Amino acid sequence: MKVDVEMGGGSPKLLERKQAVYRNLDERYEIHGETYKGQQYSHIYFTRLHYMRNLLYSLVPKWKPNLPVNTVLGLEEEKECIIVGTIYKHMKLKPSILDEYSKERSKVPLAKPHNFVHPDDHLILEDESGRVKLAGSLLDPSAFVTGIVVAVHGKETSEGKFFVLDMLEAGLPPQIDQPPSSTEDKYVVFVSGLSIGSSTFNPLQFQLLVDHITGHLGDENEQTFASQIVHFIIAGNSVQILQGLLNGQTIAPRDQSTLTEPIKELDILLNQLAAAMPVDIMPGPSDPANFSLPQQPLNRCLFPGASAYNTFISCTNPHQFELDDIQFLGTSGQNIDDLFKYSEAKNKLEFMERTLRWRHLVPTAPNTLGCYPFTDKDPFLVESCPHVYFVGNQDKYETTLLQGSDNQSVRLICIPKFCETGVAVMLNLRNLECHSLSFSTGLNV
Amino acid sequence: MASGDIKGFYRQKKKHQKGGISKSVSASASKKKKPSKSGGGATLGATDPQTPALFAHGAFDLTDDYGEDEERLRQFDMDMRYGPCIGLTRLQRWERASSMGLHPPADLRNLLTRASGPKSPDLECLWEGRV
Repeated sequence: MKVDVEMGGGSPKLLERKQAVYRNLDERYEIHGETYKGQQYSHIYFTRLHYMRNLLYSLVPKWKPNLPVNTVLGLEEEKECIIVGTIYKHMKLKPSILDEYSKERSKVPLAKPHNFVHPDDHLILEDESGRVKLAGSLLDPSAFVTGIVVAVHGKETSEGKFFVLDMLEAGLPPQIDQPPSSTEDKYVVFVSGLSIGSSTFNPLQFQLLVDHITGHLGDENEQTFASQIVHFIIAGNSVQILQGLLNGQTIAPRDQSTLTEPIKELDILLNQLAAAMPVDIMPGPSDPANFSLPQQPLNRCLFPGASAYNTFISCTNPHQFELDDIQFLGTSGQNIDDLFKYSEAKNKLEFMERTLRWRHLVPTAPNTLGCYPFTDKDPFLVESCPHVYFVGNQDKYETTLLQGSDNQSVRLICIPKFCETGVAVMLNLRNLECHSLSFSTGLNV
Repeated sequence: MASGDIKGFYRQKKKHQKGGISKSVSASASKKKKPSKSGGGATLGATDPQTPALFAHGAFDLTDDYGEDEERLRQFDMDMRYGPCIGLTRLQRWERASSMGLHPPADLRNLLTRASGPKSPDLECLWEGRV
């Protein structure tokens, strides 16, 4: 790890940047030479159901010890039992590719709603043997999405539906104990949605951020503060390339530079950052990486300047790592944005909490969010609870400390889009407290 | 049964013919769009003058000419416990089932790894090339 040396104010005092032990755990999200052989998504659902079902079967005896556990095909009428399966939510407003071919084209609204929830949505539980509609008022379909695995207690009605009396989610996974809190403050800075290349990007604003955390701004106090920053995470959407250029037409040579300008600019800024401290960059929906999750690391060739530093790390999305034995897990926002489209909650933090309780990072993949059709694993299953769970490219900065039933404690962070808000997030590794860093270049204070 | 002769004559392998016209030497095989194992009763387009029916004591032999090993592997393909079978080779599916703790029969793995020669069972699942 490079140690950066900062010069203090006027006096020749050397401030050393603190360091933290970093361990990258992205291997589960990397596509290691997998070749696509034409397989479909049934395999990923099978592995997900198998893993979650075994988990739920182990939790059911503590929940309702005296009830039999059945498969969907083994349901008997009026007999109370427990079934475990994958939820499918039938949504009236969910856009379907077949709508393009429907005879009544006028029924399809041209403007897409942001949220596809409708009061008529209903839930269906499915396992390998069959599927059954879930009835009853206990489960509110607007809180669920297709793809989660739950256990339900109830009985089959005469109509062939399953009347739900109670439901069990897997709950927060077990957490590795947090290391004993150290005495010194070490900070991690999160930023996302830089959108270099878009009209909302303000170069001065980001330059301010870079200068502040590399210690080129402020007096000795500020610089001491900056020297305690040990890691910098960019959670997606660092570039935005004009949509008009990406419609498949050949671009004239004079316009080709508009394609590469944003990335070159990003490289210059990353160069400054990487020279000062370890930087992790994650791809997001608008970055030049693959579309389907897990997004693979941005190619090092895109950053000829920054990739010369060993502090520059290009990561997958989702991204999992460890800093001083504190577990971090985060995404660039696609998982939460998709939940927002297909279900309702009071805020984004509640969606994040739900993904942890369902033990699945991206429950809507592959249904409404693209993902690679793995045949032997589902890498988005959350097996151990992180200490810090962050999501990028959100509308505003939000954070909370989530407590689990088994002494788990997770810091949930929503990182706002920097191009719109000018806000970065700082996390103190000592006590997992969070605060925002706001940058403004407006002349009217 | 003389169908043993016909099987050697046609030598059709499913994986080379994903729904297309095969390049096999035999003329009648090239007329068929879908690959199928020979020797099954009155096959369309067969140029063989003596159908196997004459040799099966007047009854049609409706089972394709595959052995007991292939039958066991087909049962393995169809077993719901080990998940979907399309899109994976049988060996990959066996390895996946094994790593998930489902304890698939170990002798099936031996059948698949020792596969060689004309009488060997197919390495791809039952539906490969057919759906």
